[in-house]
Amino acid sequence: MTSWKKISSEAKLLLIGIPVLIWTLFPIYHMVLFSISPRDTATSGRIWPENPTLQNFNIVFKRDHFYLDHFWTQLGNSFVIAITVGALTLFIATSAAFAISRLKVRGGRTVMNLALVTYFIPAAFLAVPMYKTMGVYGLLNNHWALIFAMVTIASPYCIWVLKQASDKLPYELDEAARMDGATPLQLFWMVYLPLMVPSLVAVGTYALLLAWNEYLYAFLLLSKDSDVTLAVALGHFLSADDSPWELLMATGLLYALPPVAFYYIFKRYMVSGLTDGSVKS
Amino acid sequence: MASVSFHNIYKNFGDVKVIRCISFDIQDGEFVVLVGPSGCGKSTLLRMLAGLEDISAGEIQIDGRVINEFESKDRDIAMVFQSYALYPHMTVRENMAFSLRLRKADVRTTEERVTNAARILNLDKLLDRFPRELSGGQRQRVAMGRAIVRDPKVFLFDEPLSNLDAKLRVAMRAEIKALHQRLKTTTVYVTHDQIEAMTMADRIVVMQNGIVEQIGTPLELFDRPCNLFVAQFIGSPAMNVLKGTVQGSYVHALETKWQINSNITTVSEGQQVYFGIRPSDLSLASSGIAAKVVVVEPTGAETELLLQIGEQSITLVMHGRTSVNPDDIVYLQFDPNKAHVFDLSSEQRL
Repeated sequence: MTSWKKISSEAKLLLIGIPVLIWTLFPIYHMVLFSISPRDTATSGRIWPENPTLQNFNIVFKRDHFYLDHFWTQLGNSFVIAITVGALTLFIATSAAFAISRLKVRGGRTVMNLALVTYFIPAAFLAVPMYKTMGVYGLLNNHWALIFAMVTIASPYCIWVLKQASDKLPYELDEAARMDGATPLQLFWMVYLPLMVPSLVAVGTYALLLAWNEYLYAFLLLSKDSDVTLAVALGHFLSADDSPWELLMATGLLYALPPVAFYYIFKRYMVSGLTDGSVKS
Repeated sequence: MASVSFHNIYKNFGDVKVIRCISFDIQDGEFVVLVGPSGCGKSTLLRMLAGLEDISAGEIQIDGRVINEFESKDRDIAMVFQSYALYPHMTVRENMAFSLRLRKADVRTTEERVTNAARILNLDKLLDRFPRELSGGQRQRVAMGRAIVRDPKVFLFDEPLSNLDAKLRVAMRAEIKALHQRLKTTTVYVTHDQIEAMTMADRIVVMQNGIVEQIGTPLELFDRPCNLFVAQFIGSPAMNVLKGTVQGSYVHALETKWQINSNITTVSEGQQVYFGIRPSDLSLASSGIAAKVVVVEPTGAETELLLQIGEQSITLVMHGRTSVNPDDIVYLQFDPNKAHVFDLSSEQRL
């Protein structure tokens, strides 16, 4: 009886899971298909190319095409911008969450509510005001413009998530540390941060990938070919009538790899149960 | 070691008065237990002493020095929390050394003190474990070790045993008491469990609704509770209390006469009172006050009888065993000197 129940519930899960999996993998399959097909057979309609080749990647690496002139620089831009956004957002969000959740500063609730309100306005609506603002400060065509914009967009959500996570840390730990003689800064470094690692990794990853994947703001705020991120450069592939689809897909595939690697490296830090044993619940 | 004194202490949370004018002194080396039902303000009082709550009015002194404005860390006190509050990412050794590390004590002193505390608490073999790898009792000992290494003037315990199972609680109770006898550090201990209070304290402070009801040694409180609340709170099973009227040297209650000590001169004829008698002060006899047996609870060394007189339940605790059965009629006797009388309206002892 129970085994039948188990099988049927498993079957139901599979029934949902398999379509979702196919749905997710289908575009990736297409991307791979294009990137390993020779230029003339890329749109032949076959399920698998007759003569799969890595030639496209070779072209990308050697920047052997008009659109790929700045490939390495643009990839570097993407890296620098994403990592800076991740780091800055983490710094801001962690400080804010610590101050609001642990030090219980006055006005903390208001900050939290305002953070939530920012999400009532779609990021696209803010693109023009943001462009104007960056112009006023003379930051257009500067990486910092994109970095500041992305930090602005990512921070409220990260503050919100980190605040929720830090609320779950037992308050007695802070009191114990205070009695042990810790200053707020020592409490932050020696007790709070080590216990927040899983949330910090999750939130940092979110901000980093948000910046890595950003197209609209990068397109608006940066214009020189050697300044833009690879995401914007990928968009340029489509600006001509005879777009080199196979190169676009090969570059896109390469662009998708770092997030995957990043995820696998940091996955082990995203564990729960770090605070086990601190207090009896 | 140090003395502690509370002087006209008030604590308000907004409009709610949690502590109302509390004053008492704790002697150097004394083990004082604050006890009372939940919400009576005992933990708040302790947290004010610890510096975790502001003091709305009044003064707290340690060794004659007013510490109201001192930070927790400058009060030279250590606290053991109900929930242990161990740092989960640090080993037992690091947990215990944390306060010394913050004070930048040198490595040798730190090591020495941690080893010493670990030996006292039997934690030697667990020093490199993490809190999550320890049992509840071991965690509680680490929390105590963290307090010991600081060698504070005063130890504070905030219901440290309420998360442990019954058996462990009894064992830890003895451990804490032994620790106090060894270190002789002034200790303030908060609990809602009157048995813990009775067994551990040099003196007990009974609190209710933010005020102190009575302060005294465990036996003083047991023998001469100053009001009905203390009488019923201290002692297990609780004191039997009957409503009645004074008639000569008797209290007339439940259509029977309950003799009281003729030395009680503060009662007047016809006065409405509560008559109190502890379950252990009642005994079975061949004649006396008749009662019906409802439940017999043998616990081995003692037997607890739940009796009924009219609609009123009466508890009796006797040594040894008994052959009485439910629905039997038994007869009760007691020593009038052991009877307690409280005024009906003021509930104060007469």
